[in-house]
Amino acid sequence: MDVAFRKIDIDVYDEDALQDSELYEADSRDPAQVLGDARARQASVRSLLAKNDIAGALTAILENAPYGPNVEDAKTMSLQSLLTVLNSTKSTEIPAVIKSLSMDSQDTLMKYLYKGMAMSGWADSNASVLLSWHEKLTEIAGTGCIVRTMTDRRTV
Amino acid sequence: MPEVFSISQNPITAHAFNADRSQLAVSLNSNDAQILIRSGSEWVPTEMLTEHDKVITSIDWAPNSNQIVTASQDRNAYVWQQTPDPETGKIVWKPTLVLLRINRAATHVRWSPKEDKFAVASGARAIAICSFDPENNWWVSKLLKKPIRSTVLAVDWHPNNVLLAAGSADMKARVFSAYIKEIDERPAATVWGSKLPFNTICGEFTSAAGGWVHSVGFSPSGDVLAFASHDSSISIAYPGGPVYNIRMPTLPLVTLTWTSEDNIIAAGHDCQPIVFSGSDAGWQEIGTLDNGSYAAGSKAGAGSVGRLKAGAFATFRDADSRGQTSNGTTDTKLITIHQNTVTSVRPYAGVPGQITQVSTTGVDGKLVIWDTASVNALTGRMAAMSM
Repeated sequence: MDVAFRKIDIDVYDEDALQDSELYEADSRDPAQVLGDARARQASVRSLLAKNDIAGALTAILENAPYGPNVEDAKTMSLQSLLTVLNSTKSTEIPAVIKSLSMDSQDTLMKYLYKGMAMSGWADSNASVLLSWHEKLTEIAGTGCIVRTMTDRRTV
Repeated sequence: MPEVFSISQNPITAHAFNADRSQLAVSLNSNDAQILIRSGSEWVPTEMLTEHDKVITSIDWAPNSNQIVTASQDRNAYVWQQTPDPETGKIVWKPTLVLLRINRAATHVRWSPKEDKFAVASGARAIAICSFDPENNWWVSKLLKKPIRSTVLAVDWHPNNVLLAAGSADMKARVFSAYIKEIDERPAATVWGSKLPFNTICGEFTSAAGGWVHSVGFSPSGDVLAFASHDSSISIAYPGGPVYNIRMPTLPLVTLTWTSEDNIIAAGHDCQPIVFSGSDAGWQEIGTLDNGSYAAGSKAGAGSVGRLKAGAFATFRDADSRGQTSNGTTDTKLITIHQNTVTSVRPYAGVPGQITQVSTTGVDGKLVIWDTASVNALTGRMAAMSM
């Protein structure tokens, strides 16, 4: 059977199609500014890490995390900084660090964990770290946190 | 102690009681609605309402006029009335077709408080407000369309018979005016507005993390709106004032009802009714109606919470760590009474504003009647949740 018709994007022919942008509030910041913020944050994370302030570094990344279209560079940069933090945390410290985060930050952290696992080439070197953070985060924030990662259109 | 009835092996899609709670209409995930009569501690099937040719999605029973309305995926709704059969003289339920004018499934239906109108939510990005046309002896509809962008999943009437709340898959909960000139008197001004022609938008709310809005409900006074969405949260909105959003650590809630002006009971994929309490100063979750020890034969041990520790997980763990293929050795029973998603919670006893009992039905085919007063803390069991 010819199934090519299944690949036709029928939404193109629907004037009233529901657009992704209608489902969440766009980031009011300019893409260039978002990238600048991400860069500034990367530097501050480095200095916080040097002071061994894991919770502070994590909060710095997770607050005002870049989301939405056109900010791919800033997103990748944030994920990079986040992975640095995750990798430099001792596994015994993880629960205390997670508990010190706000609910918003916990939800955003879960989004980054899934993003990290989804990036091809990245997961190989970070798999065990991502999984152990995921386990601890689910214990503290519950399955609701995972559900919010799935429903939230403000993807990081 | 809640009353538990096993109605069927099939999922119960919707349930509605008559005024004195002696009869029950259910749809068992099929094209037919069944009427059950209570006899002692059992529900005995009596009549079958067969007219729809696709699955029935929602049922509502008007307490005063004793009419049943059913909505289905076949894009139709029927209003059922008890009339004597012309041949046998026996009293039977007779359907009247409703001209819905929608081209997608009807998803949810509710009678208005005065029972002179009902609202049908649908996948056609529209809500049909239906009223009776005595000249032609059928129900006609007027569509609420703007600004709905996706399937409407739930509706709820304001006590003034004019305003309607709707939750939809475009992540929004909205309050509309469903004022029909021919039958409604001009409504008094409410907190939602004073001039209310048909299709006025009186409020639009969304939860921060988005998610389909599965259920909406006006408080008994009609001054507050609550909605549950698929981001595992429940929001309580005060028009022009604060919107409180409570994020749950569990799976999403899909149905809710107000039991008083400061209490809400909601349930969903976590298989138990959760109680929320608050006022315009703030809201919080205060516990569950299911204390985890009601379900017969279950082990209410620590760590056996909800679905996390449920059968599937244990099965795979055993297979992985011990090489066991446990055939029937693992206990797949949940510690809650409902063994699967609760799809509907409705007031059972009491008056609006002072509901003393609620009824729930779910995918496990059970009907449970709960006392709203016996709230158990959830916190201890939340802490026991582990992977």
